[in-house]
Amino acid sequence: MIVDKMKKREPSAKNKNVTIDIPVGKWAKCDNCKEIIYKDVLKENLSICPNCGHYFRMHINKRLKLIIDDGTYKRFDINIETTNPLELEEYPKKLKSLREKTGLQEAVACGTGKIKGEEIVICIMDSGFLMGSMGVVVGEKITYAIEQAIEKKLPLVIFSVSGGARMQEGIISLMQMAKTTAALTKLDKAGLLYISVLTDPTYGGVTASFASLGDIILAEPGAMIGFAGQRVISQTIGETLPEGFQTSEFLLEHGFIDKIVERKDLKDTIYKLIQFHKEGK
Amino acid sequence: MEQKKEDSGEAIAKSMFEMARLKVPIISIVIGEGSSGGALAIAIANKVFMLENSIYSILSPEGFSSILWKDSSKTKEAAEKMKLTAKDLYELNVIDKIIKEPNGDEEESFRKISQNLKKEIKSVISEMNDNSLEEIVEDRYLKFRNMGDFINI
Ligand SMILES: [Zn+2]
Repeated sequence: MIVDKMKKREPSAKNKNVTIDIPVGKWAKCDNCKEIIYKDVLKENLSICPNCGHYFRMHINKRLKLIIDDGTYKRFDINIETTNPLELEEYPKKLKSLREKTGLQEAVACGTGKIKGEEIVICIMDSGFLMGSMGVVVGEKITYAIEQAIEKKLPLVIFSVSGGARMQEGIISLMQMAKTTAALTKLDKAGLLYISVLTDPTYGGVTASFASLGDIILAEPGAMIGFAGQRVISQTIGETLPEGFQTSEFLLEHGFIDKIVERKDLKDTIYKLIQFHKEGK
Repeated sequence: MEQKKEDSGEAIAKSMFEMARLKVPIISIVIGEGSSGGALAIAIANKVFMLENSIYSILSPEGFSSILWKDSSKTKEAAEKMKLTAKDLYELNVIDKIIKEPNGDEEESFRKISQNLKKEIKSVISEMNDNSLEEIVEDRYLKFRNMGDFINI
């Protein structure tokens, strides 16, 4: 699943580079138009290529800055680590080096914060951390966030970006899909709003659990969203896939998502949806 | 082709969601190869059983080895690492019971497995008969809520 979608943009090219706005160095290359862009320019432009409009993936901190009112984010005090259930030798080392490299604890950050003064529970995933994959830490943090939303009676907003369930934790990762989904049944019962925002790419077990269960599902333009990778599907059914398959535009057309929202409008749109929901009560 | 347009992610998510809140006791039994979201989509149960020789995993050993080691041929090594046997999953608290599969004559073995299963299903149902519908839903919720150990740091 994961391997497959990394190659999505140019199926023919043996190009393993994915667009991630790494915080070191002054230049970034656009994965779409190949233009070399000065990072300060990119930053000014919400991590969108000024040349072709391609959306770069965002670091959690940048996303927080974009969505949450300055100084209002409070991360949940939940500090946990995997037990490495498959006893893989390389895995703990990999996690350690990723923590150092990205400055993140794991592939998701969860807490409370305000959107134009409205308090929400927010979870933001990061593709820079093992492709945003979900193991026990991500599953537990998202579940905890859902429970906090219920306890504090707050709307929940989750920004997804993920390759899916984390292979390194085997079946335990698969079970996190069930855990997060079960928690969402309680949020639903409590009548609270859940807005799921899909960003590029959202795949596998994340698509097949909480990301698809929003009361409202938003997506960024041009995001790739699916369960299985395109190559796997096309091999399985023995047919070529339709143009634009698994893009947010295609999914909007087929009723899977409710609205495509440009990055610059996300905060405002989420705010308005929360207002609508309040008024409708 | 038509059914593949939206992929299967949403279907899996919705199936799990509905199963998680169904107000009846649910038993899922892995009888062969249960893999990935498709298997999980029908396994949000109060009790999950596995036949002794069945497997239940995050994906196929081929896929696991290809993703983790960039080499789809290390299937044997992957299968050993993945903890996908009934015994492994029982130890990980992912399943509740292993149904023995006696060796020998196929027909005889099948009859014994069926009898075993029948006995276990009956026992779960009678055990849950004393619970309210809310308790049954809550029991299932807690089972999945607590999936996966972690370390506090
Ligand atoms: Zn570009």
